[in-house]
Amino acid sequence: MMSNSSVDAANKAGIKTSCENHEKCMRMIQAILDGEATEEEKNHFRDNMDVCMPCINEYHLVKCIKESLCNRLERKTCPENLINTIKLKLDLL
Amino acid sequence: MPVAMSKIVKEESTDDQRYHIFNKEFLPHIDSMYNFAFRLTMDEDDAHDLVQDTYLKAFRFISSFEQGTNAKAWLFRILKNSFINDYRKRSKEPAKVDYQEIETTYNSEEGGEVQQTVDLRAHTVQDMIGDEVANALNSLPVDFRTVIIICDIEGFTYEEMAKILDIPIGTVRSRLHRARNLLKEKLKNYATSMGYDT
Ligand SMILES: [Zn+2]
Repeated sequence: MMSNSSVDAANKAGIKTSCENHEKCMRMIQAILDGEATEEEKNHFRDNMDVCMPCINEYHLVKCIKESLCNRLERKTCPENLINTIKLKLDLL
Repeated sequence: MPVAMSKIVKEESTDDQRYHIFNKEFLPHIDSMYNFAFRLTMDEDDAHDLVQDTYLKAFRFISSFEQGTNAKAWLFRILKNSFINDYRKRSKEPAKVDYQEIETTYNSEEGGEVQQTVDLRAHTVQDMIGDEVANALNSLPVDFRTVIIICDIEGFTYEEMAKILDIPIGTVRSRLHRARNLLKEKLKNYATSMGYDT
Protein backbone atom coordinates (compact mmCIF):
# COMPACT_ATOMS: atom_id res chain seq x y z
CA MET A 1 0.00 0.00 0.00
CA MET A 2 1.17 3.49 -0.73
CA SER A 3 1.33 5.82 2.21
CA ASN A 4 -0.37 9.19 2.04
CA SER A 5 2.97 10.93 1.81
CA SER A 6 4.06 8.89 -1.19
CA VAL A 7 0.71 9.59 -2.85
CA ASP A 8 1.29 13.31 -2.30
CA ALA A 9 4.82 13.08 -3.65
CA ALA A 10 3.59 11.18 -6.71
CA ASN A 11 0.85 13.73 -7.34
CA LYS A 12 3.34 16.58 -7.13
CA ALA A 13 5.61 14.86 -9.64
CA GLY A 14 2.67 14.40 -12.03
CA ILE A 15 2.58 10.64 -11.58
CA LYS A 16 -0.77 8.83 -11.55
CA THR A 17 -1.42 6.90 -8.36
CA SER A 18 -4.21 4.78 -9.81
CA CYS A 19 -4.39 3.08 -13.17
CA GLU A 20 -7.70 3.11 -15.00
CA ASN A 21 -6.82 0.16 -17.22
CA HIS A 22 -4.43 -1.86 -15.13
CA GLU A 23 -5.45 -5.31 -16.41
CA LYS A 24 -4.49 -4.29 -19.94
CA CYS A 25 -1.34 -2.57 -18.70
CA MET A 26 -0.30 -5.74 -16.85
CA ARG A 27 -0.55 -7.75 -20.06
CA MET A 28 1.53 -5.15 -21.89
CA ILE A 29 4.16 -5.13 -19.16
CA GLN A 30 4.33 -8.92 -19.32
CA ALA A 31 4.91 -8.81 -23.08
CA ILE A 32 7.63 -6.17 -22.66
CA LEU A 33 9.49 -8.17 -20.02
CA ASP A 34 9.18 -11.41 -22.00
CA GLY A 35 10.61 -9.67 -25.07
CA GLU A 36 7.37 -10.34 -26.96
CA ALA A 37 5.83 -6.86 -27.20
CA THR A 38 4.54 -5.47 -30.49
CA GLU A 39 5.77 -2.06 -31.76
CA GLU A 40 2.50 -0.55 -30.58
CA GLU A 41 2.95 -1.99 -27.10
CA LYS A 42 6.55 -0.78 -26.98
CA ASN A 43 5.51 2.75 -27.95
CA HIS A 44 2.70 2.80 -25.42
CA PHE A 45 5.12 1.55 -22.79
CA ARG A 46 7.70 4.25 -23.58
CA ASP A 47 5.08 7.00 -23.48
CA ASN A 48 3.27 5.93 -20.31
CA MET A 49 5.56 3.93 -18.11
CA ASP A 50 7.05 6.81 -16.16
CA VAL A 51 3.72 8.49 -15.35
CA CYS A 52 1.75 5.67 -13.67
CA MET A 53 2.75 4.42 -10.22
CA PRO A 54 0.80 1.09 -10.26
CA CYS A 55 2.37 0.24 -13.62
CA ILE A 56 5.88 1.21 -12.48
CA ASN A 57 5.43 -1.05 -9.44
CA GLU A 58 4.05 -3.88 -11.56
CA TYR A 59 6.99 -3.62 -13.97
CA HIS A 60 9.54 -3.89 -11.16
CA LEU A 61 7.63 -6.71 -9.44
CA VAL A 62 7.30 -8.92 -12.52
CA LYS A 63 10.91 -8.19 -13.50
CA CYS A 64 12.07 -9.18 -10.02
CA ILE A 65 10.00 -12.39 -10.03
CA LYS A 66 11.37 -13.35 -13.45
CA GLU A 67 14.94 -12.75 -12.31
CA SER A 68 14.41 -14.69 -9.08
CA LEU A 69 13.04 -17.69 -10.99
CA CYS A 70 15.89 -17.54 -13.44
CA ASN A 71 18.78 -16.96 -11.03
CA ARG A 72 17.84 -18.14 -7.58
CA LEU A 73 16.26 -21.56 -8.06
CA GLU A 74 18.40 -24.61 -7.56
CA ARG A 75 19.47 -26.07 -10.90
CA LYS A 76 20.06 -29.81 -10.86
CA THR A 77 22.49 -31.74 -13.00
CA CYS A 78 21.13 -34.83 -14.66
CA PRO A 79 22.51 -37.89 -12.81
CA GLU A 80 25.31 -39.64 -14.69
CA ASN A 81 23.64 -43.04 -14.24
CA LEU A 82 20.52 -41.81 -16.04
CA ILE A 83 22.56 -40.71 -19.05
CA ASN A 84 24.35 -44.06 -19.06
CA THR A 85 21.09 -46.01 -18.78
CA ILE A 86 19.66 -44.17 -21.78
CA LYS A 87 22.81 -44.79 -23.81
CA LEU A 88 22.82 -48.46 -22.84
CA LYS A 89 19.21 -48.93 -23.88
CA LEU A 90 19.99 -47.37 -27.24
CA ASP A 91 23.20 -49.35 -27.71
CA LEU A 92 25.18 -46.16 -27.68
CA LEU A 93 27.76 -47.58 -25.28
CA MET B 1 15.36 -22.33 -43.50
CA PRO B 2 13.74 -23.04 -46.90
CA VAL B 3 11.89 -26.31 -47.05
CA ALA B 4 14.18 -27.68 -49.74
CA MET B 5 17.18 -27.06 -47.51
CA SER B 6 15.76 -28.65 -44.39
CA LYS B 7 16.75 -32.22 -43.78
CA ILE B 8 14.13 -34.54 -42.46
CA VAL B 9 15.82 -37.45 -40.81
CA LYS B 10 14.74 -40.07 -43.28
CA GLU B 11 13.46 -43.44 -42.20
CA GLU B 12 16.26 -44.99 -44.23
CA SER B 13 18.95 -42.84 -42.61
CA THR B 14 21.78 -44.89 -41.21
CA ASP B 15 22.21 -45.70 -37.55
CA ASP B 16 25.31 -43.53 -37.62
CA GLN B 17 23.24 -40.52 -38.65
CA ARG B 18 20.64 -41.19 -35.97
CA TYR B 19 23.23 -41.57 -33.27
CA HIS B 20 24.96 -38.44 -34.48
CA ILE B 21 21.74 -36.40 -34.17
CA PHE B 22 20.94 -37.95 -30.83
CA ASN B 23 24.36 -37.13 -29.40
CA LYS B 24 24.76 -33.69 -30.96
CA GLU B 25 21.20 -32.32 -30.80
CA PHE B 26 19.33 -34.19 -28.07
CA LEU B 27 21.75 -35.11 -25.29
CA PRO B 28 23.07 -31.55 -24.73
CA HIS B 29 19.60 -30.60 -23.38
CA ILE B 30 19.44 -33.36 -20.80
CA ASP B 31 20.08 -31.11 -17.78
CA SER B 32 17.24 -28.78 -18.79
CA MET B 33 15.02 -31.80 -19.41
CA TYR B 34 15.85 -33.27 -16.03
CA ASN B 35 15.07 -29.98 -14.26
CA PHE B 36 11.80 -29.67 -16.17
CA ALA B 37 10.85 -33.24 -15.27
CA PHE B 38 11.74 -32.68 -11.64
CA ARG B 39 9.69 -29.48 -11.41
CA LEU B 40 6.71 -31.24 -12.98
CA THR B 41 6.83 -34.43 -10.90
CA MET B 42 8.60 -33.02 -7.81
CA ASP B 43 10.12 -36.43 -7.33
CA GLU B 44 13.60 -37.59 -8.35
CA ASP B 45 12.60 -41.14 -9.28
CA ASP B 46 9.68 -39.93 -11.40
CA ALA B 47 11.91 -37.31 -13.02
CA HIS B 48 14.44 -40.05 -13.81
CA ASP B 49 11.78 -42.26 -15.46
CA LEU B 50 10.20 -39.37 -17.32
CA VAL B 51 13.50 -38.19 -18.82
CA GLN B 52 14.42 -41.75 -19.77
CA ASP B 53 11.05 -42.36 -21.46
CA THR B 54 11.32 -39.04 -23.28
CA TYR B 55 14.77 -39.77 -24.70
CA LEU B 56 13.80 -43.29 -25.77
CA LYS B 57 10.71 -41.88 -27.49
CA ALA B 58 12.78 -39.13 -29.09
CA PHE B 59 15.08 -41.73 -30.55
CA ARG B 60 12.19 -43.88 -31.74
CA PHE B 61 10.55 -40.89 -33.46
CA ILE B 62 13.79 -39.33 -34.65
CA SER B 63 12.53 -39.50 -38.25
CA SER B 64 9.94 -36.84 -37.45
CA PHE B 65 12.55 -34.45 -36.10
CA GLU B 66 13.58 -31.85 -38.63
CA GLN B 67 17.27 -31.07 -38.36
CA GLY B 68 18.08 -27.44 -37.91
CA THR B 69 14.85 -26.81 -36.01
CA ASN B 70 14.71 -26.31 -32.27
CA ALA B 71 15.57 -29.68 -30.73
CA LYS B 72 15.06 -28.41 -27.19
CA ALA B 73 11.46 -27.33 -27.87
CA TRP B 74 10.81 -30.63 -29.65
CA LEU B 75 12.10 -32.60 -26.65
CA PHE B 76 10.19 -30.47 -24.17
CA ARG B 77 6.99 -31.16 -26.08
CA ILE B 78 7.56 -34.92 -25.90
CA LEU B 79 8.33 -34.72 -22.20
CA LYS B 80 5.25 -32.61 -21.48
CA ASN B 81 3.01 -35.06 -23.38
CA SER B 82 4.55 -38.06 -21.62
CA PHE B 83 3.97 -36.37 -18.31
CA ILE B 84 0.30 -35.69 -19.07
CA ASN B 85 -0.40 -39.12 -20.51
CA ASP B 86 1.66 -41.37 -18.27
CA TYR B 87 2.64 -39.61 -15.07
CA ARG B 88 0.03 -37.14 -14.05
CA LYS B 89 -2.37 -39.77 -12.76
CA ARG B 90 0.16 -41.64 -10.69
CA SER B 91 2.19 -38.63 -9.63
CA LYS B 92 3.32 -38.64 -6.01
CA GLU B 93 2.46 -34.97 -5.79
CA PRO B 94 0.10 -34.70 -2.82
CA ALA B 95 -3.35 -33.40 -3.69
CA LYS B 96 -3.61 -29.76 -2.74
CA VAL B 97 -6.64 -28.86 -0.69
CA ASP B 98 -7.43 -25.86 -2.85
CA TYR B 99 -6.35 -27.47 -6.12
CA GLN B 100 -9.83 -28.04 -7.53
CA GLU B 101 -10.96 -24.57 -6.62
CA ILE B 102 -7.93 -22.98 -8.23
CA GLU B 103 -8.35 -24.99 -11.42
CA THR B 104 -11.98 -23.94 -11.69
CA THR B 105 -11.23 -20.31 -10.96
CA TYR B 106 -8.24 -19.93 -13.21
CA ASN B 107 -8.42 -22.60 -15.83
CA SER B 108 -11.09 -21.10 -18.05
CA GLU B 109 -8.90 -19.14 -20.46
CA GLU B 110 -11.87 -17.11 -21.65
CA GLY B 111 -13.20 -16.56 -18.15
CA GLY B 112 -14.26 -13.09 -17.07
CA GLU B 113 -11.39 -10.80 -16.21
CA VAL B 114 -11.09 -9.93 -12.61
CA GLN B 115 -9.13 -6.82 -11.81
CA GLN B 116 -6.30 -8.37 -9.90
CA THR B 117 -3.68 -6.32 -8.24
CA VAL B 118 -1.71 -8.23 -5.69
CA ASP B 119 -0.26 -5.87 -3.16
CA LEU B 120 3.30 -7.12 -3.26
CA ARG B 121 6.42 -5.05 -3.76
CA ALA B 122 9.52 -5.99 -5.74
CA HIS B 123 11.80 -5.47 -2.75
CA THR B 124 9.86 -8.10 -0.78
CA VAL B 125 10.53 -10.67 -3.50
CA GLN B 126 14.11 -9.44 -3.64
CA ASP B 127 14.51 -10.38 0.03
CA MET B 128 13.27 -13.94 -0.45
CA ILE B 129 15.64 -16.84 -0.84
CA GLY B 130 15.51 -19.32 -3.69
CA ASP B 131 13.72 -21.99 -1.63
CA GLU B 132 10.87 -19.63 -0.84
CA VAL B 133 10.41 -18.71 -4.48
CA ALA B 134 10.61 -22.41 -5.38
CA ASN B 135 7.93 -23.29 -2.82
CA ALA B 136 5.60 -20.67 -4.24
CA LEU B 137 6.21 -21.99 -7.76
CA ASN B 138 5.71 -25.61 -6.67
CA SER B 139 2.38 -24.77 -5.07
CA LEU B 140 0.89 -23.71 -8.42
CA PRO B 141 -1.35 -26.14 -10.34
CA VAL B 142 0.78 -27.94 -12.88
CA ASP B 143 -0.49 -26.11 -16.00
CA PHE B 144 0.43 -22.76 -14.50
CA ARG B 145 3.70 -24.06 -13.13
CA THR B 146 4.55 -25.33 -16.62
CA VAL B 147 4.13 -21.99 -18.43
CA ILE B 148 6.25 -20.21 -15.83
CA ILE B 149 8.99 -22.84 -16.04
CA ILE B 150 9.27 -22.83 -19.80
CA CYS B 151 9.05 -19.04 -20.05
CA ASP B 152 11.03 -17.70 -17.11
CA ILE B 153 13.40 -20.54 -16.31
CA GLU B 154 13.99 -22.04 -19.77
CA GLY B 155 13.53 -18.84 -21.77
CA PHE B 156 11.36 -20.19 -24.60
CA THR B 157 9.58 -17.66 -26.84
CA TYR B 158 5.78 -17.51 -26.93
CA GLU B 159 5.87 -19.22 -30.32
CA GLU B 160 7.95 -22.09 -28.97
CA MET B 161 5.73 -22.29 -25.90
CA ALA B 162 2.65 -22.54 -28.13
CA LYS B 163 4.24 -25.53 -29.91
CA ILE B 164 5.36 -27.24 -26.71
CA LEU B 165 1.93 -26.87 -25.10
CA ASP B 166 -0.18 -27.34 -28.26
CA ILE B 167 -2.13 -24.15 -27.62
CA PRO B 168 -2.49 -20.87 -29.59
CA ILE B 169 -0.17 -17.94 -28.74
CA GLY B 170 -3.12 -15.95 -27.36
CA THR B 171 -3.72 -18.73 -24.86
CA VAL B 172 -0.01 -18.74 -23.96
CA ARG B 173 -0.31 -15.04 -23.12
CA SER B 174 -3.43 -15.40 -20.97
CA ARG B 175 -2.26 -18.56 -19.21
CA LEU B 176 1.04 -16.87 -18.41
CA HIS B 177 -0.78 -13.81 -17.13
CA ARG B 178 -2.98 -15.92 -14.87
CA ALA B 179 -0.04 -18.01 -13.72
CA ARG B 180 1.90 -14.90 -12.75
CA ASN B 181 -1.05 -13.43 -10.85
CA LEU B 182 -1.41 -16.67 -8.96
CA LEU B 183 2.33 -16.80 -8.27
CA LYS B 184 2.20 -13.24 -6.91
CA GLU B 185 -0.59 -14.27 -4.54
CA LYS B 186 1.42 -17.27 -3.36
CA LEU B 187 4.51 -15.12 -2.86
CA LYS B 188 2.44 -12.54 -1.03
CA ASN B 189 0.92 -15.18 1.29
CA TYR B 190 4.30 -16.67 1.85
CA ALA B 191 5.87 -13.30 2.62
CA THR B 192 3.08 -12.43 5.03
CA SER B 193 3.33 -15.78 6.84
CA MET B 194 7.10 -15.37 7.14
CA GLY B 195 6.71 -11.91 8.55
CA TYR B 196 8.29 -10.05 5.65
CA ASP B 197 7.34 -6.42 5.25
CA THR B 198 5.10 -6.46 2.18
ZN1 LIG C 1 -0.99 2.30 -15.60
